Amino acid sequence: VKRLDALRAIDETVGDHPLVITCGATARELASISRRPSHLPLLDSMGLTSALGLGVALGHPGPVTVIDGDGSLLMGLSVLATLACYAPPNLTVVVLDNGQHASADELESQAARIDLAAAAAGFGLAVRRCADVEELTALLAGRPGADAFALVVAAIEPGNAPGIPLLLADPAVLAATFSAALPSA
Amino acid sequence: VPKPATPRLAAVADGLLDWGLETFVYVPSSHSAPVIRNLLAAGVRAVMANREDEAVAVASGLVLSGRRAAIVMQDNGFGNALTALTTLSLAYHVGLPIVANSRGGLGEYNAMIQSISARVPDLLAAAGVRVFGLGPSDPVPVWRRTVSSAAELAGMQRAPIVTLFDALHPALEVAP
Repeated sequence: VKRLDALRAIDETVGDHPLVITCGATARELASISRRPSHLPLLDSMGLTSALGLGVALGHPGPVTVIDGDGSLLMGLSVLATLACYAPPNLTVVVLDNGQHASADELESQAARIDLAAAAAGFGLAVRRCADVEELTALLAGRPGADAFALVVAAIEPGNAPGIPLLLADPAVLAATFSAALPSA
Repeated sequence: VPKPATPRLAAVADGLLDWGLETFVYVPSSHSAPVIRNLLAAGVRAVMANREDEAVAVASGLVLSGRRAAIVMQDNGFGNALTALTTLSLAYHVGLPIVANSRGGLGEYNAMIQSISARVPDLLAAAGVRVFGLGPSDPVPVWRRTVSSAAELAGMQRAPIVTLFDALHPALEVAP
């Protein structure tokens, strides 16, 4: 699965519900195919995506989805314990796992040697694995009511899509647009 | 046995309640514990974080979703929190009140902690985060009003604002 295809599937399935996106190539690739007011891409803040999404899910009554990466999740791994403790039913965290820091010159991540899904399950989280776009789409589409927290670990190919432009957005504008798109804000 | 909140520590919690706090995110600290317990007793929703940067991210998400959220922590955690405060809260204009007990000053019993805590106001100022301070010379009503006003200011200015309170100063025992 190419990351671009996984991102397209997530975007089409999540629609206009809030979507928090990890930094680097992931945010750039998604922005190259879809930009919605309900998207909150991080331009830096590696390691904090799932924690930020947890906060949004605790404050917003509707479904909230996070796109994290294996490297970013590993940088803030303590959030797995926090997710397990609070587990808002309206939150879905999708970890795109390519076993590398694709935005850091494609250096290997520790996820290449450890099983992130098993680690998350060890915290007591409800973990789903998927290996193709159809399965990912079905997993997300099967959660319209978002009645239980889930962490999805999706295996993707290493590397970055070529020719993707930089994401030079003003973070203050991104945040204001995102907040305004939430009914509760 | 948990220590009851002193009037000044109770005022920190009351100041946040005056502001309309809906959820607080905290990183456990013995000197902030009375504040945390008072907020819990008041029925405020709490989220315990394991690290201060994680707390900043969770609280920022709450604020961006329209909630009145704040962080309760200890000042030696600002080293952990700096990247989150700058690249997330400051950059994304998140109005985030933070109350933190300060360490390393008079009455300190830990020989190491001053190496970070004494420098926290300068670190935060260098990062562009505004700081207000509360100590033994400030009466209880001033503590309460300062905390609520700083929280209000954070929301208005859409920025993280820190209130450092000194819960260790020996003069607190004789302060009116």
